[in-house]
Amino acid sequence: MLDAMIIGAGPAGLSAAISAAQHGLHVEIVDEYYQPGGRLLGQLHQEPDGEWWNGIEETEKLLEQIESLHITIHCSTSVYDLQKVNKKWVTYTDQGNWESQAVLIATGATESPTPIPGWTLPGVMSIGAAQVLTNVQRIQPGERGVVIGVNVLSFAIARELQLAGVDVAGMLLPPPHLLSKSEGVPQEVLSSLLRFSHLAPSVLMHRGAPFVKGRLAKNLVTAFYPEKGMGVWGIPLQLRRTALEIKGKNQVEGIRVAKVNRKGELRNAITHDIDVDFVCIAGGLSPLAELAAIAGCKFIHEDALGGYVPVHNEKMETAVSGLYVAGNITGIESAKVAISQGTIAGLVIAKSLGARMINGKINEALQEVESRRAAATIQFHPHVISSRESLYKTKKTQ
Amino acid sequence: MSTLIVCRCEEVSLETLQKTAYQYHCSSRELKLRTRAGMGVCGGRSCRMMIEQIATAGDNEKNYETETIPLKYQPPIRPVPFGVWGGLSDE
Ligand SMILES: Cc1cc2nc3c(=O)[nH]c(=O)nc-3n(C[C@H](O)[C@H](O)[C@H](O)COP(=O)(O)OP(=O)(O)OC[C@H]3O[C@@H](n4cnc5c(N)ncnc54)[C@H](O)[C@@H]3O)c2cc1C
Repeated sequence: MLDAMIIGAGPAGLSAAISAAQHGLHVEIVDEYYQPGGRLLGQLHQEPDGEWWNGIEETEKLLEQIESLHITIHCSTSVYDLQKVNKKWVTYTDQGNWESQAVLIATGATESPTPIPGWTLPGVMSIGAAQVLTNVQRIQPGERGVVIGVNVLSFAIARELQLAGVDVAGMLLPPPHLLSKSEGVPQEVLSSLLRFSHLAPSVLMHRGAPFVKGRLAKNLVTAFYPEKGMGVWGIPLQLRRTALEIKGKNQVEGIRVAKVNRKGELRNAITHDIDVDFVCIAGGLSPLAELAAIAGCKFIHEDALGGYVPVHNEKMETAVSGLYVAGNITGIESAKVAISQGTIAGLVIAKSLGARMINGKINEALQEVESRRAAATIQFHPHVISSRESLYKTKKTQ
Repeated sequence: MSTLIVCRCEEVSLETLQKTAYQYHCSSRELKLRTRAGMGVCGGRSCRMMIEQIATAGDNEKNYETETIPLKYQPPIRPVPFGVWGGLSDE
């Protein structure tokens, strides 16, 4: 029997395995992808200090430690069920079952794409799929495409596509309907854009950022936003154009675009078509919590964390004994935060199983999460810090 | 404009889902059972959130108070052969 089974070989799972094994635990990792690294693998962006964050290199750093600690990673192994049987956890996978005293669920996040007429055509993909194709598999998703949905993730990935030599013909808003909500409203999108202006070296963005306090300022900024859009790294960012429909017979051939007013309403029927051979849809990210749900966790809905998250405390303990969570399953944040959450989880599991460790080790790790969270380059939601604080203050897991 | 499909596996459109939700004041579970959205081969992996969103439109607060995810997850959460699921594999 293992001391701990870790589900997910993303940054959170890998770092948890490392800190647990450093304290003498026998842990193994399962992941359904054919190589470890999770969503870290596809990441490539520039930090405000000019340094590049290269996910493949960061993954290699973690894997070196995994190797020196002789931790086994079972890749291409899908967990389909997780149950406590006779006080032991059983992780059921398509490659066999494992028993362990503790389980860490570090399954990350899933994309929630906004549907658009024609989105079932071949050549339409989620923005994350385009990232994996380009940065992990080194295959261009197409010759010329558009990105529908303007948010921190699509911004970072549009830039990655461009660096890979793919022609990004524009970034557009999704059509206004029930399921696109505020993502189709130029004013809302612009104000969220200004929060990560450090990723976009553009004069207007830098100038605009300090002014977006309150509605008046927001209106002003959208009023000044050029109706035809503006170039960011040469990619036309069109906040007043909505993607009405993806066209094509057997695959994507083009996209029909319409002009909207500042509230995102279709002003008139004037449309035009753009020729493209692929389309990326960027909705948002939500915690991938299926295993936590079947293992008996309670949930809480927090917009700032991306939706339903299993109830847990800052030590990554859930209310179910022997069950822990870390990384994006606890809320959508950047990889650096996931890594330090993983470290905490590994330490806390080790401690619960009687491992000896230096006093203050866990507190140190808790502080690291907070400082990384405060300094994050990619922050997925403006209220993530306050949302975490209130979750950890009010929710008792014991 | 072509129809907007929400559930690809069962080919259920946004229009059908909205109409059903309006007509029956459905919970997300009832909406799923009435339309089969989310009940196809992928197990709702791509549309479950949209079904919840359609069912809770205009009624958010009420739905978020529960401590469970509205559309229940059931094992197996990944497609597995019957032999594996039934414990008949060689291991
Ligand atoms: C498309 C996408 C792009 C992103 N881009 C960025 C970015 O550019 N910068 C940034 O900072 N953050 C980005 N993020 C956020 C990202 O989730 C975090 O940076 C970080 O990778 C989270 O780490 P994690 O370990 O929690 O999860 P992940 O890195 O997602 O790893 C989870 C792992 O669990 C495995 N898994 C899930 N379910 C099962 C199962 N049932 N059985 C077996 N294995 C399973 C998956 O295969 C995966 O390898 C992105 C997220 C997504 C979804």
